[in-house]
Amino acid sequence: MRKSDILIIGNGISGLFAACIAADMGKKVQILSYGAGTLTIGGGIIDVLGYTDDGKPIENPVLGADKMASGHPYSKVGAQTVDKALRAFLKIAESEGFPYIGSPDKNQWVPTAIGNFKPSCLVPRTMNSQAIFDAENILVVGFDTMKDFYANMVTKNLRKHLKSDKNIEEFVVQLNFEYGRDLRDISAMDVARWLETKEGYNAFVNQVKAHIKNSTAIVLPPVLGLDPNYQILDSLEKDLGCKLVEVSSLPPAVTGTRLDKMLNSYAKKHGVQIIEKARVVGSEVADGKCQAVITEGFDRQRKFYADQFILATGGVYGGGLIAGIGSMVEPVFNINIDVPKVQTEWSYKHLFADKKQIFAQYGVNVDNDLTPVAADGSKIASNVKVVGRSLAGYDFCYEKSGNGVALITAYKAAAAFCGEA
Amino acid sequence: MAINKQHAIDPDKCTACTICITACPVTAATRKFRGPKMTGPALTRLRKLVSDDDPMLDYCSNCKTCDLVCPSGVPISTLNMMAKNEYYKTHPRKSRADDMLAHSEKMGKLITALPMGSTFAGMGMAIGKAFNMMNAMGITQNAKMPTYASESFISKFKKIKQTSYPRKVVFFSGCYINYNQPEVGVDLVKVYQKNEVEVAVDEKFVCCGSPMVSGGYIDDARINAAKNVKLLKGWVDKGYDIVTACTSCGLMLKQEYQELFDFAGMADYAEHMYDSIEYLAKLNDEGKFNTDFVENSTKYIYHAPCHLKVQAIGRPSMELLPLIPGMQIEEADAGCCGISGSYGFKADKNEIAMKVGSKLFARIKNSHADLGVSECGTCRLQMENGSGVHAIHPLTVFKKAYGL
Repeated sequence: MRKSDILIIGNGISGLFAACIAADMGKKVQILSYGAGTLTIGGGIIDVLGYTDDGKPIENPVLGADKMASGHPYSKVGAQTVDKALRAFLKIAESEGFPYIGSPDKNQWVPTAIGNFKPSCLVPRTMNSQAIFDAENILVVGFDTMKDFYANMVTKNLRKHLKSDKNIEEFVVQLNFEYGRDLRDISAMDVARWLETKEGYNAFVNQVKAHIKNSTAIVLPPVLGLDPNYQILDSLEKDLGCKLVEVSSLPPAVTGTRLDKMLNSYAKKHGVQIIEKARVVGSEVADGKCQAVITEGFDRQRKFYADQFILATGGVYGGGLIAGIGSMVEPVFNINIDVPKVQTEWSYKHLFADKKQIFAQYGVNVDNDLTPVAADGSKIASNVKVVGRSLAGYDFCYEKSGNGVALITAYKAAAAFCGEA
Repeated sequence: MAINKQHAIDPDKCTACTICITACPVTAATRKFRGPKMTGPALTRLRKLVSDDDPMLDYCSNCKTCDLVCPSGVPISTLNMMAKNEYYKTHPRKSRADDMLAHSEKMGKLITALPMGSTFAGMGMAIGKAFNMMNAMGITQNAKMPTYASESFISKFKKIKQTSYPRKVVFFSGCYINYNQPEVGVDLVKVYQKNEVEVAVDEKFVCCGSPMVSGGYIDDARINAAKNVKLLKGWVDKGYDIVTACTSCGLMLKQEYQELFDFAGMADYAEHMYDSIEYLAKLNDEGKFNTDFVENSTKYIYHAPCHLKVQAIGRPSMELLPLIPGMQIEEADAGCCGISGSYGFKADKNEIAMKVGSKLFARIKNSHADLGVSECGTCRLQMENGSGVHAIHPLTVFKKAYGL
């Protein structure tokens, strides 16, 4: 429990990334985590900025970020940080043998679980959708009895979105898994495990091969292995002689799990110490500086000391913000978030309104250095920075910016604490 | 201050996010298990209305990986264990070995009390294996079984002459150290004495109940808990800290008791509970850890037991072992070993246990380490069984480093 240089609370994508950046710059970093980060149920792709406030698609996320209204995390950290942070992420992914494709200044359209397209910025190579646009034939591959992926629906939607000269067909691979009351339903994770076995791999190749024509791209659920590497993708592309493109799927998420494993691996290799199940319940602030944060479990309270602190605990869903009737609070530094007392004023009537939801934008207010600011304008602690979903001022769901805001604010906080302007 | 009641058993804290399913080692190994989310919080809601007849419950090993990854603080594994306890009140047991494995203290008492002494005891359960008895009892023939020591730890302890120091702890040895590996307990006393700590034991302590809980015998565990809670509270009232060198005993006494039972004093003594290496790390923080070590050039690989990980104490062994000069140690970081106390010894679960541990076994083999290190006794057995590399308790590494 010795003192660390930088203590990070939370091990979701923003906490892990901040840890990687700070450890890279030579800092002694400790993470306190309570449960795995919600990135393990996410898509594993890096959406940076997909749509403007009035719903128009954005081509260049760096330019888009530059135009965000004040109050948005991107307007606080600046477009230059957007670019730097994403390039740092690409470098980390590359060094872990799981390179992502894409560039900070260009969005790409990736297929969704139902065969629609959404804008994203950086994606793993298993989701390189360019193959779909280039190929003459698209083969949508589903798996019999696998939940949450319907090849016929994907085929129908792809036909709507793509040029009519493309030949789009579906094919369902027979898993021949046992099925019965004593056995669990089959998810993408189970199929991914099956493809990792020799029998599964061969069965897949044998069934699919006959349906591959010249210039074919396969669209399939995320089943190309559970680990952050491209071994299965590469050997399937070789054995089948065509490209494969994964779409995201419902949780439990294979793609998010791969990203989680990759960031954990990098962080640990660089000396980051992770203390699991450590529930942070408060902090000790003196003379405008945080001295320690306090954890609490079944035995006793413990204090964790550091020079600097990064709060990466997530939003309401991740437990970083606690919402009550007419109230919202950040529990570690006890920051009250200004919300309407009347609950009906928190949201528009339609959940998927054609504008940003009100509740989605609630969060901790920060200055341009990401230091938290209380409702009365006072600084809570000068050596604390807030990153990721805890921040106020954006609706990741509407604008498609979730993992982007997480990575970019995490980079800003870590780099600033390491002396980089 | 402990927070006992904040951890109240509440399935509704589950948001059905599925993080536990992505992490559960048993889910990954077999489709016979529905996964922690379903058997735990989801079905617990239904169990409030209808009686349960879901046989999948039996597959939860209580390794607590689900609790570890849950962001909402749902005591998923304990919900499973409570349901298992209820289920077996009205259903036949799946495994004939359940009763014996859950009540391992009985077995330990029986064997170490035999007059034949070390010849028989040293072989322990291996005898049964030779006579093909294990199969009939529902115990796998593939796993390396714990052997029983010729002399219990408590008996050995009485022969140790200690120097008295103002800093005192009471050591809850647990069944595994008392009956199977008493030398680990002896090493604890030696290492603690080197750090000017006096160690007490209490012959009235009974099995913590961990194997009973995971075997679906919570009612039996309650009887043991009632006894232990009273004794532990008494020691703390006398100014002692409590240490355990088995991570499952430690977890049971300080956490699972609070989740399952409602005895007075549990939160009071839990405040003074330490894992044996965590206690040394506390001394290190105070600048009072004896680092007068001899050099050690053995190559080790460390495996963190699941029941250590959920205690929110980090990795005290990986903090302290590198202080030994010449020490080469790396953390395996390869997930659950699969054994989960008694789970992997059951004939119908052994295959799952070996599948769960396969990543760890490969990691140990590829590390070319001379020895494995782990705080948990059955983890050590499983590491040896799966990789062929002998594994020891970190206390034993420290004892050697003190030149003892």
